[in-house]
Amino acid sequence: MTHDHSSRRQFLKLLGAGAGAAAASRLDAPAAGTQASGPVKIGVLTIRAGVAAPVGAAGLRATEWWAERVNNAGGILGRPIQLVVEEESNPKDTVERFRKLVLQDQVEVVLGGISTGVTLALGPVAEDLGTPWLSWDGTTQRGVEETMPNPKWAFKSVDNEVEAIVAGILTPKYFKGIKTVAGIGNDYSYGHDCWESYQAVLRRYVSDVKFVLELFPKLGVTDFTSHIAAIQQSKADLLMCSFWSGDATIIMKQAAAVGLFKTMKGVFTTAGGVHDSLKKEFTPEGLLLGYNTMYFDDPKGSALLKQFVREYKAKYNEYPPYECDHAFFNAESYKVAVEKAAGPAKKWPEKARVVKALEGLEIESLSGKRSWREDHVQMCNFYQGITTHKNAYDFVTIGPLEVVSTKQAMKPAGSKLFEWIAGWKV
Amino acid sequence: MAAGLQVVFGVQKIFNLACGSFYALGAYVGVSAVGWYVGAGGPPALFIVPLALAGLAVGAVGIVVERGLLRFVYDRDETFQLLMTFAIVLMMEDAIRLTWGTAPRSTAGLYLAYGQVQLLGATAPVYNLIVIAASLAIALAIGWLLARTAFGRIIRATADNREMAEALGVDMRRVYAEVFTLGTALGTLGGALVIPTTAAMSEMGIELIVEAFAVVVIGGLGSMRGAFGGALVVGVLRAIAISVYPELEMLLIYLIVIAVLAARPRGLFGGAAA
Amino acid sequence: MKGGLAVALGAGAIAAAPLVASTYHVLLMLPFMAYAVVLLGLNLLFGYAGLVSFGHALFIGLGAYTGAFLTTHAKIRSLEVILLAAAALGALVAVPVAALCVRYVKIYFGMLTLAFGMVFYTFVLKFYRLTGGDEGLPFLRPSLLGQSLDAMPKTDYLVGPYYYYSLAVLGLAALGMWRIVHSPFGLCLKTIRDNPAKAETLGIGVTRHRFYAFVISAVYAAVGGALLGPPTGNVDPTLAYWTHSGNIVFMTLLGGFTSFFGPVVGAFVFIYLQNWVMSVVPYWRLIFGAMLAVIVILAPDGLMGFVTRRRPALAGRT
Repeated sequence: MTHDHSSRRQFLKLLGAGAGAAAASRLDAPAAGTQASGPVKIGVLTIRAGVAAPVGAAGLRATEWWAERVNNAGGILGRPIQLVVEEESNPKDTVERFRKLVLQDQVEVVLGGISTGVTLALGPVAEDLGTPWLSWDGTTQRGVEETMPNPKWAFKSVDNEVEAIVAGILTPKYFKGIKTVAGIGNDYSYGHDCWESYQAVLRRYVSDVKFVLELFPKLGVTDFTSHIAAIQQSKADLLMCSFWSGDATIIMKQAAAVGLFKTMKGVFTTAGGVHDSLKKEFTPEGLLLGYNTMYFDDPKGSALLKQFVREYKAKYNEYPPYECDHAFFNAESYKVAVEKAAGPAKKWPEKARVVKALEGLEIESLSGKRSWREDHVQMCNFYQGITTHKNAYDFVTIGPLEVVSTKQAMKPAGSKLFEWIAGWKV
Repeated sequence: MAAGLQVVFGVQKIFNLACGSFYALGAYVGVSAVGWYVGAGGPPALFIVPLALAGLAVGAVGIVVERGLLRFVYDRDETFQLLMTFAIVLMMEDAIRLTWGTAPRSTAGLYLAYGQVQLLGATAPVYNLIVIAASLAIALAIGWLLARTAFGRIIRATADNREMAEALGVDMRRVYAEVFTLGTALGTLGGALVIPTTAAMSEMGIELIVEAFAVVVIGGLGSMRGAFGGALVVGVLRAIAISVYPELEMLLIYLIVIAVLAARPRGLFGGAAA
Repeated sequence: MKGGLAVALGAGAIAAAPLVASTYHVLLMLPFMAYAVVLLGLNLLFGYAGLVSFGHALFIGLGAYTGAFLTTHAKIRSLEVILLAAAALGALVAVPVAALCVRYVKIYFGMLTLAFGMVFYTFVLKFYRLTGGDEGLPFLRPSLLGQSLDAMPKTDYLVGPYYYYSLAVLGLAALGMWRIVHSPFGLCLKTIRDNPAKAETLGIGVTRHRFYAFVISAVYAAVGGALLGPPTGNVDPTLAYWTHSGNIVFMTLLGGFTSFFGPVVGAFVFIYLQNWVMSVVPYWRLIFGAMLAVIVILAPDGLMGFVTRRRPALAGRT
């Protein structure tokens, strides 16, 4: 770049003013060694509108349940918890909300973040502002590739494609002799990534499997009549579907209306997120259904899970979905990390010591033991199984229940997904 | 829904961005009505009755919106009317969330209460046939209303020439209120009738407006025949795009909208006097 | 004179903000300045030519994606190059769009622009190999006037050099627009808005003037869109969605489209109000919707209407 001297001088002057401003404005930033009394402010980002609003609501409810529980037990190191809730919307506005939580409200930690488009933007902002950020459900992956392999402050959710990988592993076990597969997913990265991963895994188990149709309707579509007609025409043995919102219920209904699953097997990798809307009247038995990282009706579930499900049902008249577990794990692991970093002196630790304590930390969450991998990715179990009508509810549940760990189904730190799958011993 | 949009546009020259919101409102009220009906022990076979009644009844919100908001902007530039309906979109989305929460709502299995039939070698739910029959009946009824009744003549006269109609002693305020309410009721009824086949989601309004808008533009603004022609074109194109080249589905529809607007702004089916 | 004084005071206040205001509020000024550039352009169409576009998010998106694409794929980090490229691309895309749209007025114009906006939105979402789909593209930190500032912490960069750079761009944009609306071209636009038939008889090419106004506004929107990218660090399709177009029209109306600086004031009030309301109530859309309705009914001239009603000279209206 060339430019004349006057503009350079002008620019340097501006730069000086800018640096001065930055120095001045830093006065309002939180002091490095934090005050050790008064409430702990915890920032929460949650989606309130749009397709993912129910997911956001579930995460917030679990966080509030956790906060109440901890406060009743005396808070964290004796400090009561104060949640500061802001809305996750589009990336631009959410980045602004995140900055507000850190710079204005001066929270100790930010919890939340669901949509990948948003969390991709939040990651670098958390690093810049030097505040721990624990994401409920969002990663910093672009497609299936990590963009922030060695973050200091950002803690990320499980890789998006894991549930499709788990479903790919379980498909040959429950549906023998599958030769042709059709796929439908939402037209965005999650839908595409799930479909690619599912195909890669299934090919490893069934070498002559053919993928005969792929459909990607826009997220938020409420009529799948044309899609179902195309799926019927494909005459595939099995349909793989990665819908996770109201559209999972809708496609189930509209498929039942034309008897689709009378002739076809079905794999719904993520529909367990809206499990209590999958009524028995239109959801057949014998489908593979994924509940992500928490199954509310786990026969081996802990007393904590049972208590949570009971109180959630009493308060909201719904059965909790998996997002509750992500949110609970984030909040609870933060608390444990603070206590660990405080040491026997019980002195409130600096943020940098808290993030160190989080690395590799394992705690008891709603669904059982969950941990943070050293590179800040969640490790946990995935719950999938075959739908059944044999239960006390008006919606389907699963049995037998399969539990697959991320140790088996998530790519190890630093590896490439498809190379990793290609290297499996099957 | 497209029919409601057409009636309102044809007469009042208001392009209603909020029609999608009315549709969503109808859907939610439909779910609630059916839930209440089943809870009260009504026979499932008749669930369509409370559904349709609820859809029509909540159309009354049209009066409130028209009297409370829209009537103030009739004399302004159309842009303000457009913006007013944008304001309604924003408000309705939150109003629905306040009332029904964020979780998708559906009418469980009633969709299949009427059974299925074999039609041309494919299985079709009877309920779909009922809805198709109902929309045809509604279309015919509106056609009759516009063409044969005194009310219809007044509406057409107003659409053609507002000043003249006013000079002839037509009470504009009343006509506008009635027409807007009729349009709203068509939207809410549409939402209610379709809900057993799908689920109500709070963002329905915003998603649907774009599609309804495509239907109306392709069909021709203010033309009833056009609304149905447009719906048909969009429906068929969708089905073709999905089976031939799914990637293009939505893009194709917008491109056709632009082509139609550029070449025949009155729409494929719009007559000279649309 | 009084108007000039107000503008000077406003500019001075913006320039001094980083020295006195809290970091977060200074950061909020960045989208304000970016939107202000967009709205100066939008108002050439809205206030001066009487055409309301419901598709200008297209050009905001285009500008933002230009910057993201150049910084990530083409390794071009210079903000001057990015802004020029955004302007050029904005103009390039605007030419065919404008050629089609300006043949229509009022509602038809609004709908056509909405359709074009949605075509672009769908394109961005669908062709994810090029655009990153819903995940968008990173907008890497641009260099300013040839100086790479990657070593600075991002917040310091944003509230320091980037802030004053944005302010300079806004100043230039405002100056340019002031010249445009007070040129014979601007007068012609106003004549066309108030009475197209009369304008035609006076020998003013109605369609041609509207065309130029559209293209200029698109260039402004693209430049503003490019400025919107770096604070977020990632651009995504929601920037091009039709409700975003609706929001910027809302801002224009809020400030007042009949006044030159009205839209700028509107952007400022909108952003700070949204920031405040969002934190206080979850149902902020309801409040904003109601506010829009009230403005449309009671104060179609917006906030500046209260000022200009007594001082029509500033309004720039004939």
